[in-house]
Amino acid sequence: MLGTQIKDVILKPDAPSSLLLDKHADYIAAYGSKKDDYEYTLSEYLRMSGIYWGLTVMDLMGQLDRMNLQEIIDFIKACQHDCGGFSASIGHDPHLLYTLSAVQILCLYDSLHAIDVDKVVEYVKGLQQEDGSFAGDKWGEIDTRFSFCAVATLALLGKMEMINVDRAVEFVLSCMNFDGGFGCRPGSESHAGQIYCCTGFLSLTGQLHQLNADLLGWWLCERQLPSGGLNGRPEKLPDVCYSWWVLASLKIIGRIHWIDKSRLRQFILACQDEETGGFADRPGDMVDPFHTLFGVAGLSLLGEEQVKAVNPVLCMPEDVLQRIGLQPDLLS
Amino acid sequence: MHGRVKVKTTAQQEEEKRKEREKKLKIYVAARDACFSKRKEGVCDDEALQLTQQLLSSNPDFATLWNYRREILMHLETVKDRDEMQNIYEAELSFLEACLKVNPKSYGSWHHRGWVSARLPRPDWARELSLCDRCLSLDDRNFHCWDYRRMVVKVSGVPVDQELEFSDRLIGSNFSNYSSWHYRSTLLPLLHPQTPEAGQEPPHASSPRGPQSHRVCEEQLLKEYELVQNAFFTDPNDQSAWFYYRWLLGRAEREETVSCVYVSREDERVAVAFSRPVNICDLPPGTINDVANEHNLTVHWTGSHTHRDCALYTGRVESWCRDTATDQELFRSELSVEKTSVLQSELQSVKQLQELEPLNKWCLLTIILLMRALDPLGYEKETLAHFQTLKQVDSMRSEYYSDLCSKFMIENTILKMEYAEVRVFSITDRNLTSLCHLDQLLLVTHINLSSNRLQRLPPQFAMLQCLEVLEADNNFLENLEGVYHLPRLQEVSLKNNSILSCRCSFRAQISVSSGTPVLGIGSFCDLCSYLAAYK
Repeated sequence: MLGTQIKDVILKPDAPSSLLLDKHADYIAAYGSKKDDYEYTLSEYLRMSGIYWGLTVMDLMGQLDRMNLQEIIDFIKACQHDCGGFSASIGHDPHLLYTLSAVQILCLYDSLHAIDVDKVVEYVKGLQQEDGSFAGDKWGEIDTRFSFCAVATLALLGKMEMINVDRAVEFVLSCMNFDGGFGCRPGSESHAGQIYCCTGFLSLTGQLHQLNADLLGWWLCERQLPSGGLNGRPEKLPDVCYSWWVLASLKIIGRIHWIDKSRLRQFILACQDEETGGFADRPGDMVDPFHTLFGVAGLSLLGEEQVKAVNPVLCMPEDVLQRIGLQPDLLS
Repeated sequence: MHGRVKVKTTAQQEEEKRKEREKKLKIYVAARDACFSKRKEGVCDDEALQLTQQLLSSNPDFATLWNYRREILMHLETVKDRDEMQNIYEAELSFLEACLKVNPKSYGSWHHRGWVSARLPRPDWARELSLCDRCLSLDDRNFHCWDYRRMVVKVSGVPVDQELEFSDRLIGSNFSNYSSWHYRSTLLPLLHPQTPEAGQEPPHASSPRGPQSHRVCEEQLLKEYELVQNAFFTDPNDQSAWFYYRWLLGRAEREETVSCVYVSREDERVAVAFSRPVNICDLPPGTINDVANEHNLTVHWTGSHTHRDCALYTGRVESWCRDTATDQELFRSELSVEKTSVLQSELQSVKQLQELEPLNKWCLLTIILLMRALDPLGYEKETLAHFQTLKQVDSMRSEYYSDLCSKFMIENTILKMEYAEVRVFSITDRNLTSLCHLDQLLLVTHINLSSNRLQRLPPQFAMLQCLEVLEADNNFLENLEGVYHLPRLQEVSLKNNSILSCRCSFRAQISVSSGTPVLGIGSFCDLCSYLAAYK
């Protein structure tokens, strides 16, 4: 009986099997120094997040000091608009996504004083809608990713009470599906990225008990494929970034032991590029800072000793959050 | 960023590629700079539309440019008439269609299309629905398209049953159809809610009302079973059907209710167990401690307009009122005769399928779930056997199956409590790896968890407010967290564990051993030094 073939990758026996931390640090340190790179220029629309990915992974590897603090702070300052929000880069429009990234970077550097914090709060508050949801910017796109961005930003600034938290929670819960997962908007299909945002949201708002952790945990642990890698939803290929979205979600809901850790670790390591450094979405593909962060962060959650402990809710080093005094709930 | 294969090339090929990219980059940067400077000057002309079009065609994720286009279009609305705007917006829709052909997964493109459709003087929702049809026929897992479809359906009032038929067609024709099953799960409760209201109009397929509203009336449910069964018998490896089936078998979250009220005269305390957490309330001293008095307590829960009564009689030191697990439909729904016979025949069918496909883990898990739905206690032995097989067939998830099995064994023990003592809870030698339903154990005075595989007693163990004796020998307990907040605890037995740390905070008779015979120890302080000596 010919049925559905399982979509997966096959790990080559000569795939990298040890963590090449120094190569990754060199890759990130050099990234973006060649400002005439085509890909780099085309991804300008997400630069603030790109910087957050690079700095966070460097910090996790204990090499943050190789990055140019002052240049970055100046860049961030130049990206704060009058409305209080931050854009991805100079000349671009403000958006919640890049506002969160900016605040996260400033926390890494303990430099929140460099920007107008009250204005940021005003910007975030202004994006909350009647039904509790958050628009990404003034153009009105609604997505649970933005609910996460909003509360994460405010949590880092210690100003969560400035929004209507109850309404925000109501909206996120209205996005819960039959399988215990969450999508972008009410009625949207469950997706690991959205699930990460919603479980992170519920952690920050103290509402994790509203989840059906057993049901959601099952859906999440079913993301693990024979190769050991994790996909984002059923019948999709594995991708190293899901080592973060899925794993962090499982950690938040107290069920990280439901996946096979050693098989996942093997997959993540296989996604390294021995030549260039960095991680790709899957073995043999092109590397980028996004997948590099989530590969390393995933390994941290799996207990990798060479990497600093990472917070599963905010994807930032635990020691940074300790300094701020932020300890989001986790289920046991 | 995703799915870009690294291709090995020669030095010459590298150089050619580099030159080409340099050229592309120059053009791109020139266009981008021109856009930005125009926008800075507040220009809203045709050239701006051209430039943004050029850039967005190859980079639709450049969100700021969609913003700029919207500003230009809004400006045009102030100087053009309705017909002109209709044409302009229709051209915009054509442009968007071209963008979506190249990149059907750009948030920016889909959002802009939604924005344009809403502003069209004469919207054409049929056209939008047809775009969704075509897009989904190419990739029926494109969630951007599904979300757009949901918006179109809502705004234009497409009837639910029409969309249900649509999902039928997709499920029938495509293998990768989790998205279609998901859509069904949102449509069914709208069309066939569990409690149909009189004179209700067929509802529009608007967004569902939240996680609690996934109940479906029984008649429709039984039809769905048939539909799903066809799917997984046709292709037993199609996981979406199995996920959907598990949802059909499951119950909606039980309503929040007060499941138990316990009163203690001695402690002058009332403990209330809700469907989940336990609330403890200390009464003012002297309120109920005189054993000569009778007291009637009522717990009002304003949140869900319920209340429970509990009478504390003269001469009694404690009292309680508690729904049994069955009353609460705690672990399974009441089954109608029809539903029971349907599930019985499904169990037989899936068992047959399992014999044909012994390595199919979905079959094994589903058999277990069906047994739970039909007769949890009667099928206990078979359930345990199936779990053993499942852990071998799907070893990556063996910890999940261990925890799930633990949950079911605990449920069975709670169910058995209805016929026996409600104050003794004993579940030994069951390979328990985790604890749950602790909110059901408020009244328990004696608990025996010996000879299992528990690594911890979680913080929720504090719900066992009446606990006097804890036996948990032969486990893998690493610490005594969870035991510290039990006010009545007198005896603890923890032979053969892996206890590494504890806090010295209260008195207890402890028997503990890492291989030596039982010792009586007076307090946790003694325990700490005893353990330290043994390291």
